[in-house]
Amino acid sequence: MKTATTIYSAGDHQWLAVTRDPQRPDYLIDTNEYLVSHGEAAILCDPGGMEIFPAVFSAISEHVDPRNIQHIFASHQDPDIVSSLALWLEFNPRLKCYLSWLWASFVPHFGGDRETFIPIPDAGMKIPLGNASLEAVPAHFLHSSGNFHLYDAQARILFSGDVGAALLPPDEDDLIVKNFDTHIRHAEAFHRRWMGSDRAKRDWCERAAAMQIDMLCPQHGAIYQGEDVRRFIEWFHDLEVGQLRV
Amino acid sequence: MNDLSEGSRVLQSDAHPENDLQRIVLVNEQIKAVVATAFSINLMALNAIFLAKRAGQAALGFGVLSNELRTFSVDLADVMKALRDMTSDSVNVVSDQVRLARTLGILSRLKAAGVARGQQAVDAAFARHAARVERDEAALRERQRKLRQVLADARQRVELGGVLARSAKIEAAYGGGFAQPLMQVSSEFDRTIQAIRGSLDALAAI
Repeated sequence: MKTATTIYSAGDHQWLAVTRDPQRPDYLIDTNEYLVSHGEAAILCDPGGMEIFPAVFSAISEHVDPRNIQHIFASHQDPDIVSSLALWLEFNPRLKCYLSWLWASFVPHFGGDRETFIPIPDAGMKIPLGNASLEAVPAHFLHSSGNFHLYDAQARILFSGDVGAALLPPDEDDLIVKNFDTHIRHAEAFHRRWMGSDRAKRDWCERAAAMQIDMLCPQHGAIYQGEDVRRFIEWFHDLEVGQLRV
Repeated sequence: MNDLSEGSRVLQSDAHPENDLQRIVLVNEQIKAVVATAFSINLMALNAIFLAKRAGQAALGFGVLSNELRTFSVDLADVMKALRDMTSDSVNVVSDQVRLARTLGILSRLKAAGVARGQQAVDAAFARHAARVERDEAALRERQRKLRQVLADARQRVELGGVLARSAKIEAAYGGGFAQPLMQVSSEFDRTIQAIRGSLDALAAI
C-alpha cells in the first residue's frame, strides 16, 4: 500500500502526498498523488492509473473518507494520470474532473460523461475549494499539448505534474529532495526527452519564478522544497529539452 | 449466497472472457467460410439451371433440383447472417465482461488491502460489479443457447441440401447426352455440401 503523508497543514487547509508503493509491479511507473483539502472540500491531483487505484484509495482512507472527494484535477490525459477515473466515479458518481478543454472528449474513454468534466481554458482558471481558491496554471507542451499545474497560494505549493519528475532508484526515494545535485541526475534524461518545447519551458520558468513557491510537487519522484525550488527552476531553464538521447 | 461470496465465486471461476473473445473470432471465421461456400453453390446452381435448359426434356428434374439448391444457398446465407449478427452482439457482452472482470479484480485488491474509511462503499461497489458480471455471464449463456439453436437449424438445412444434391445425381443419370456434364455438376454439389457440413461441425465444436 502507498503512504499518505501530510506535507502542509494550517487550520483546516491541508496537503496530503500519496507516494511510494512497495507492492507496485516494476512494469508500472511510480506516481505521486496529492489531495488538497479545505474543510470538507477536497480535490485529488492526478489520481493515477487504474492498476494503482487500490493503493491510492486505501492510503487516502487512512486520513479522510475517500468518498468525500468531490473533485479531481488532471494535469493532462496520460493513463498514469487519470485512467482510474471510472473507479473514482464508482464511489462518487457526482465527482467532477478539471482538465484541459483539449482532452475533454478524449479522457471520457477512461470513464465519466458530459457531466463529469470541467474543461479548463488555455489561459487557466481559478478553482474553488470550499471557501479557499486554487489556480490552474498553464503548462502547455510540458509535456502534453494541453497541460496544467495547480497552484495553492495559501500553502505556497505548486503541483507541477511531470515538471520536476525524477525516476528515482529504490535507495534514493525520499519524499523530499535531500541533495539537489544528486537528485537532479535522476530528472535530467526525463526532462530532456519528455519536455518537447524550449519556448514552453522558458515561459513556464518565467511564470514559476514569479510565483511564491515553498514546495514544488511533481507527479513522479520527490518534492522540491525551499531553496531547491529556485534551483530547479534555474536548472530547468538552462536545460536543453526535446532531445531524443542524452 | 450473499452478494459478496457470489463475487468471490465469480472471481475464482474459470470463466475467461478473453477466451470467449477468441472463440467468437473463430466462430466468425467459420461463418465466413460457410457463407462463401453457400455463395459458390448459388453460382453452381445458376450454371446447372442453364445446363438443364440446354439438355431440355431429359433434364427437367435436374433443373427443378438446381432451382431448389439455389434457394437452399440463399436460405443458408440468411441463417449464417443471423448467426453472424448474434456473434457480433456477443462481442459487446464479452468486451463488457473483460472490462468488468478487470474492475472486479481491482476492487478485490482494494478489499484485500483494507480501507480505514469507506469499507461499506468498497463492499457495495464489489458486490455491484460481481452482480453485473453474473448478469453478463447469464446473458452470454442465453446468447450461446440461441446460437446453438440457429446452428441446429443450419445443420437441418444442410441435410436437406445433401438430399437435393444426391437427388440431382440420380436425375443426372437420366440426362441423355448431357448425363456426363450433369453428373459432374451434381457431384460438385455433393462435395460442396459435404464441405459446408464439415464447417458446421467445426462451428459446433468451437
